[in-house]
Amino acid sequence: MSLRHMILYIGSITLIFLVGLIIQDQLNPYILRVIINTGIAIILSLSLNLVNGCAGQFSLGHAGFMGVGAYVSAALTTRLFPDSLFQTIPGTGLAIILGGIAAGVAGYLVGLPSLRLKGDYLAIVTLGFGEIIRIVFLNIPFIGGAVGLAGIPLSANFFWVYFWVFVTFLFLFRLIRSSHGRAILAIREDELAAELMGIPTAKYKVIAFVLSSFFAGIAGGLFAHYQGFIDPNSFSFIRSVEIVIMVVLGGMGSLSGAFAGAIIVTVLPELLRVFNSYRLVIFPLLLIVTMIWKPSGLFGFREIWNFFKRAPKTS
Amino acid sequence: MNSTGLQVSNLSISFGGLCAVKDFNLDLPPLSLKGLIGPNGAGKTTAFNLITGVYTPDSGTMTLSGKSITGKAPDQIARAGIIRTFQNIRLFKELSVLDNVLVAMHMRKPYGFLAGILRTRNFEVKEKELIEKGQKILEFMGLGNRQHDISSSLSYGDQRRLEIARALATEPTVLLLDEPAAGLNSREKVDLMNKISEIRHQFQVGILLIDHDMKMIMGISEHITVLDHGEIIATGTPQQIQSNPKVIEAYLGVA
Repeated sequence: MSLRHMILYIGSITLIFLVGLIIQDQLNPYILRVIINTGIAIILSLSLNLVNGCAGQFSLGHAGFMGVGAYVSAALTTRLFPDSLFQTIPGTGLAIILGGIAAGVAGYLVGLPSLRLKGDYLAIVTLGFGEIIRIVFLNIPFIGGAVGLAGIPLSANFFWVYFWVFVTFLFLFRLIRSSHGRAILAIREDELAAELMGIPTAKYKVIAFVLSSFFAGIAGGLFAHYQGFIDPNSFSFIRSVEIVIMVVLGGMGSLSGAFAGAIIVTVLPELLRVFNSYRLVIFPLLLIVTMIWKPSGLFGFREIWNFFKRAPKTS
Repeated sequence: MNSTGLQVSNLSISFGGLCAVKDFNLDLPPLSLKGLIGPNGAGKTTAFNLITGVYTPDSGTMTLSGKSITGKAPDQIARAGIIRTFQNIRLFKELSVLDNVLVAMHMRKPYGFLAGILRTRNFEVKEKELIEKGQKILEFMGLGNRQHDISSSLSYGDQRRLEIARALATEPTVLLLDEPAAGLNSREKVDLMNKISEIRHQFQVGILLIDHDMKMIMGISEHITVLDHGEIIATGTPQQIQSNPKVIEAYLGVA
């Protein structure tokens, strides 16, 4: 890693910290809430993008992994070790990472058998697993069952959410631009051809799935420690669909698209509040329009910075 | 029996009641160039699919450089050194021309997973090496100036060439070319055939070539195997094949 990069990264994190410091008190709390929810949504759509967009596998159970992260981290800070180090900011950070790891393990257990399936079948299996995870939470009294888990320390703020947005983005950006990331992209393009070029496709699909689940778990942990309350319904099928919409709307396989999708899906319903219940109609309508005129999503496979470069020749 | 190159003996597979390939034998010493011909539906591509592990043979054995590769998964066989191209082009369409070649180099494990994330020194060095090597191969195949284009934007002939470039990037010991000249015009065909003979020495590979164009395949192969209805009906030098009555019968029917 070069010095230039180091400065860039430290600079970015400092910037996030400073912005957080300023807007934490200055901004209207409602707007701040939307901004933070958007950050969590960005982590979710970036992570799902790795599986649905980059590896080309259609997963419909992302909320389940988010739930694992949320419940594991919240159980650590609220139930298992109350009044301990986990109540402090670094302690919560650790709990959130452990939640992410737990989600990664869950992703491994789900991914290993189901990634042998393709297309619709994989979608159905992941949907099923997502629901199973939710129902498991529903039936464990220790973490609140159907009542939900309250009293979670409110230690996630603008800085931590956007810090993780930065980490997730950087991780995925670099992954895709490495040999291992190219192997994942090749699976999306042509699985058989990738295999015949010596890529162990099953292994890379599982890797993509585990990493994706890990970051979803992180998003879940941040969500829990920002809301202060979680219940199994926060991680329902509807939530999974919402994340899929972000990825599809933004553009499968595009990191900038994942940002755009997350922002649109989180912010637009807020802007449409003036239409009351009609916003539930306008939103799907937008999705239909996108699918008709730009089926590859806003960005397609491209990134925002590609638009500033010279277009590739097609002679 | 020598223990170098690719040896295939008595490979058979049937789908339901249809015996697609029966007792397929092949001996491909290093640096040899052999042809595999036969009428449509003779089982040529099925033979390729068997050798590359896409289908698991019902019976028969395969060894590469003395090591058994029978029943191995396609990616393992590829890493062992047998690489193919496809009759109906199968590029990574949305990736750039250079990325197509870089994907193929992945199997040589240039660097670890975390090295790419942390952008270690090793990553920077190896990535640069990969790109340079990829560019060299693309230049060899005449695609040097197209490396940043999306591969689906290439012309048909260029896509065929990219398939070969991608296969070469894996540093194979055996290269299986499935109708590389299909759909090319006669001038492009001649160019491609010259290129294929050149590849053999430049990249030190043994080549097995499927094609329909008899004149061409006779011109460059040292040895030809003829398949019909899944069975080998003749083997020999191009001269022997040309005068073999069974081959003439298979292609033209009985007079």
